[in-house]
Amino acid sequence: MSESTAVDPAHAAVLYREARFADEARYADWESLWDEKALYWVPMNEGADPEKTVSYIYDNRPRIAKRVGQLKTGHRHSQTPPSKMRRMLTNLELLDTTEAIEGGADRIVTIGANFVLYEFRYGMTIWAGRYIYKLALAADGSIKLRAKTVHLITGDAPISNLAFLI
Amino acid sequence: MTLLENPVTATRPRKSTALSDSGLGLGELVRPDRVHGSAYTSQEVFDAEMEEIYGRGWVYVAHESEIPAEGDYVTRRMGRQPVIVSRAEAGAIHVFANRCAHRGNRLCNAESGNSSNFKCPYHGWIFDNDGHLVAIPMKQALGDRHDAIRAELGLSSMPRVDSYGGFIFASLAEEGITLLEHLGRSTTAIDRLNDLSPTGRIELSGGWMKHAQACNWKMVMENNVDGYHALFVHQSVYEAVREAKVSHQPSKVDVIVRDMGQGHSEIDYTEEYTKLDEEFVWFGRTPRAKLPNYLAAMESAYGTDKTHSSLVVGPPHTLIFPNLFLAEMNIMVVEPIAPGETVAYTAPAMLPGMDEMNSRILRRCEGAMGPSGFLIADDGEIGARNQMGLAAKNPEWVVLNRGFEGELTNESGKLSYDKSSETPQRGFWKHWSSVLAGSANTSVASVKESVNE
Repeated sequence: MSESTAVDPAHAAVLYREARFADEARYADWESLWDEKALYWVPMNEGADPEKTVSYIYDNRPRIAKRVGQLKTGHRHSQTPPSKMRRMLTNLELLDTTEAIEGGADRIVTIGANFVLYEFRYGMTIWAGRYIYKLALAADGSIKLRAKTVHLITGDAPISNLAFLI
Repeated sequence: MTLLENPVTATRPRKSTALSDSGLGLGELVRPDRVHGSAYTSQEVFDAEMEEIYGRGWVYVAHESEIPAEGDYVTRRMGRQPVIVSRAEAGAIHVFANRCAHRGNRLCNAESGNSSNFKCPYHGWIFDNDGHLVAIPMKQALGDRHDAIRAELGLSSMPRVDSYGGFIFASLAEEGITLLEHLGRSTTAIDRLNDLSPTGRIELSGGWMKHAQACNWKMVMENNVDGYHALFVHQSVYEAVREAKVSHQPSKVDVIVRDMGQGHSEIDYTEEYTKLDEEFVWFGRTPRAKLPNYLAAMESAYGTDKTHSSLVVGPPHTLIFPNLFLAEMNIMVVEPIAPGETVAYTAPAMLPGMDEMNSRILRRCEGAMGPSGFLIADDGEIGARNQMGLAAKNPEWVVLNRGFEGELTNESGKLSYDKSSETPQRGFWKHWSSVLAGSANTSVASVKESVNE
């Protein structure tokens, strides 16, 4: 018997909110979604070992704060003004549920989604790929973003500035 | 002497004709304190660069650590030409044109790998990694001519390949100055980097970030040695991410900018760091206690005094003409695509076997470099806007006269203690101009003139 891969609507809502905050350069709101054991990771290709090879982004919680802090200065030229963006999340699937335990969570759910992101700056750039999220669910019902991995379909090719929140 | 009387340029009369964007000759785009804007935007200039700089001069192609074993290869480009850099069975390093000797199909389509031979997917021709054609399918149709054809149609090999300190360079020209003559004083920067490794070699095993930038390749290169822009382009880093290693106010530091000759140039922190006599200022001031294995390996290899001085002085911040930048513990290579289009490749400079250093080197590379880096994304943005600004044709010249007066000259080159001086850029452009004018790749005399001037 196959288990359902349907995503809890409350979990999907968190992901849609995260996407909208990123699209709209609502940096403080976006940062507030993360928990303390956060990992925001954009590898160059799937299967890459981040301890052996360089990633485009490999941010733990302190570095997320620095990234957001830099964007908030107004002097991050590559996002001043912020790119205009809208992204579509589709094909949401529940990939895994772990009853656990670390970092104050009761459960960790892993969700996969495809995305297309339209970025307009001096011209239109289309970004696409797959997001893998981990949400930390606490006993009190709160939901935090534990991890977000972004597998770009263009990860192997030269990419233009990726200074916005992807 | 007019250009037409010059024996080198006389064989290539195009050099003396006026460029359509500027009305100037190729040798007239650079003056001692300024550069013509079309040097960044003109297709004709770009085509001449591909021919003279990337088509005749020494070009960085790969690092020996990327092809450590027999049969290893990487595919790269020299200017517009795709090449294979391979290590053959006997250990020899070859740089081949990446096209089948038969019909021109791109022979090797992977970025890297290991193989005893290259098989063309079009008609199945097989070349060994010394470049010999070893098999032609259905050879019967060639009859008696088979052996002669097989002997003739090996892979086209770059005429000159050489390396220094692990860095492999190649030239498409049969003759010209040697690699050591080309590198000149810039070997000191490669040595300085290698001195930070207990094995005397770095290792490019961490992969390459690939950053598409909407500006001219020279803008990327010269910006890397611009000691003036940091407080403005990178203001947000110092406000929100981390403090500057040492002050970016020239009057507060003994940071030197230097034209090393031959187009190589650098920002040199040696005097400032030596004055501080503090290790790892260049490495987030990481405490010694966090790097016990690295320190033991360094002291075992070099002794305590040399280890201390290497760790105080730190890595180079040096541009090696035309396409290599030793970006402290990162290596950047530029690939010109079009006048307003460049790919900058960045790899962390890892130290073989030094895990406690390498994990930090990786994370620092991501923090600073590439399309998401706290530093380089903004350089890319400013470069793109610079290219847009240069679409305005008046004023015609880009001025690089900062610190023009008061430069010093010694055996290390032409230098300034004002780190905002545009000394490095002037050195880069002066050499660029002499290469395009047709002499600097082919004449040893011009090397001496360039260094001694």
